Amino acid sequence: MIASIKANLPVFVVIVPLFIAFILLTFTRRMRLVEGLVIFAEALGLVCAGYLAYTVLKQNGTQIIYQLGGWPAPWGIELKVGSLAALFLLIIFGVCFPVAIFAKGNLTEEVGSNERITRFYVLYLLLGGALAGMAVTNDMFNIYVLVEVATLSCCGLVSARKHPRAAEAAFTYLILATLGSALVMGGIGFIYITTGHLNMGFASQELKQVWQDNPHVVWMAVSFILVGFGVKSALFPLHVWLPDAHSQAPTPASAVLSGIAVKGYLICFLKFMYGVFGPELMQEFAVNRILVFLGLVAIIGGSLSALTQDELKRRLAFSTVAQVGYIYLGFGLMNEKGLAGALFYLTSHAVIKSTLFLAAGAILAATGKKKISELKGIGRKMPITMATFTIASLSLIGVPLFSGFVGKWHLLLGSLEAGNIIPAVIIIFGSVLCAAYLFPVIRIAYFEPAPEEEWKDPGLSQKCSLILLSTVVVILGVVPGPILELARRAAAELLML
Amino acid sequence: MKDFILKRVASIILPFVFIYGIYVILHGHVSAGGSFAGGIIVGLSFIAFSTIYGIDKGRAKLPEKVLIFTESYGTLWYGIMGMVGIFKGVPFLTNKLAGIDLGVPGALSSAGLISLIGLGVGIRVASTMVTLFFIMVEDE
Amino acid sequence: MKILLEKLIINYPYCIAAILFMIGGLTVLTRSNLLKKLLGINIMESSIFLLFVAGGNIRGGAVPVFDKANVESVYINPLPSALMLTGIVVSVSVTAFALALIIRLYKTYGTVDAQRIAQMRNEVEEK
Repeated sequence: MIASIKANLPVFVVIVPLFIAFILLTFTRRMRLVEGLVIFAEALGLVCAGYLAYTVLKQNGTQIIYQLGGWPAPWGIELKVGSLAALFLLIIFGVCFPVAIFAKGNLTEEVGSNERITRFYVLYLLLGGALAGMAVTNDMFNIYVLVEVATLSCCGLVSARKHPRAAEAAFTYLILATLGSALVMGGIGFIYITTGHLNMGFASQELKQVWQDNPHVVWMAVSFILVGFGVKSALFPLHVWLPDAHSQAPTPASAVLSGIAVKGYLICFLKFMYGVFGPELMQEFAVNRILVFLGLVAIIGGSLSALTQDELKRRLAFSTVAQVGYIYLGFGLMNEKGLAGALFYLTSHAVIKSTLFLAAGAILAATGKKKISELKGIGRKMPITMATFTIASLSLIGVPLFSGFVGKWHLLLGSLEAGNIIPAVIIIFGSVLCAAYLFPVIRIAYFEPAPEEEWKDPGLSQKCSLILLSTVVVILGVVPGPILELARRAAAELLML
Repeated sequence: MKDFILKRVASIILPFVFIYGIYVILHGHVSAGGSFAGGIIVGLSFIAFSTIYGIDKGRAKLPEKVLIFTESYGTLWYGIMGMVGIFKGVPFLTNKLAGIDLGVPGALSSAGLISLIGLGVGIRVASTMVTLFFIMVEDE
Repeated sequence: MKILLEKLIINYPYCIAAILFMIGGLTVLTRSNLLKKLLGINIMESSIFLLFVAGGNIRGGAVPVFDKANVESVYINPLPSALMLTGIVVSVSVTAFALALIIRLYKTYGTVDAQRIAQMRNEVEEK
């Protein structure tokens, strides 16, 4: 029994959240059972992901291959769990589990009645399952289907709030994300027409022999996939939906959207670019230079836009645009240190941004004030919330001893190794700008006199989840060992293909 | 006058539309159609009924609880059919390797899991179409 | 020039798919009515379905049902049609969800025009 569960772990990680999401709607009247089931599903997923990561680390190079339906590779769908998949599974469930604990009892005023809260949880679990599937699958059309499930769940999560601005933000997000999906499907169509395979390994081998005959079709496929995934993961000129969507969503949804949903599309982009096309084709069509350039522009543009925002959640949303720029910069550098730095930065940013959004949401729920200038003196009234906010901000800026520093250090080493001095300068400048838009919040919270109002810390489960997330941030900074090793092996696997 | 003609014609035709939808679902592995198209046809028969006879009669035939029940458990049926392989030691969603008898291709009871999964998906798609219709039609 | 025109006419499904894609894309990005944006998305997705299904077609091929009379005939690839069934389901879901959002926006603001909605939202916020 245990042996059969261990052999089928890649599928269980995907289908356990999905099964519990399917039956959740029949239990609407018993809220405690619903919340308990959600937390149980995320905990089970975390245990499975941890065991998969441990197995992959021990196996040292061979990947777990699992065939759905027993059909071998070109005829059936194949799931391949390597270091990249194990890393991303850990990130997904490592963020979803604390956020599910935070959402317990916190949703009533933002979402509404019990029935709406149950539907919110259904969409939440569907998003977790779809992202887990995107991490492990090795088939191109399977990625498209899971991308669509994730997009619809994200839009549903954004529109869950009762305020009319949420509906507007969700509509813009839906239209632009579906545009991106249509482009991705067009790219997959071009790859299928030229190579005749839908499996990523086989398509990559075939593409190496065939691309000289029709270079324009392959060029179109590369550009469609670049723009399609760029719209979904907020690459700089295509990020216009992100500030509205991430600031108008309910708090646990903002944390999960900014933390792992954007990263899921980044991982799919990585799988397509390095797994199907390969580094030689990327250099042939100058994709790496485009990615470096757009990443640099995103860092500067996102940080400068974040400086001008007065609402706390919008400032954090623009900060996500800037940090995604760092990750695209790492993808474009195409050497092992750069890719490993980008993947480690992805991990640390997921945890940091969730902490920041959850703390901001707790402040918003307790005080009812959205703008930063009105949050005077909140550090003394809500000590635990502001302490976790400060720890996460210091880590995002890149102070040594926290996790952001390790990621930025590897990105710096990668850009110096590639011979380019401009990215190194802009990475450091980006950290300065990040300090410029995060320190005012901390200063106003701690060093200004507080008005005489009763602002208390949020409840027990919210405090537990905030402390858990900030502990993970500190641990990633002090002992980055296993995660950094997973990231380095993932980079080596991607570059060798 | 128009209402009278519609109601009489619908009362004769709609049961046949419903049975045609179930035929398309069950014969998915033999001819064209399958779970999704058959589910839509079944759902459309209920939507036509609600449009012609009024929303209240439509809701009385398919109350909220029945719709939620069929939606959730129709999808769970898919998952449970997939787990048959895991209990026998082969991967998820296996058909022949899990020892299911595949039968003669072209006959109705062949192809193992495919028609069983199609049944669950068809019922689910039908109830989703009816739910979407009821949501869009409500006035307040 | 004549060779280019000949190639375009032989590959007419792909040309039509490209034209539909451009029409749909321009409708989404330039029209301010929310329903027209939704229709543009549907046109774009239809063009991608056409691209896939035309990619699986072989001129002069037989219907992909196994025929015992002539076993060695060339069959049309049935895989893209099956994939596009999934794509059509996805398109229906996106359309349904977007329509529900439009109904909600109409009930709140009374108009379906994106620029009027943005104007009304700014006026409410300034108060």
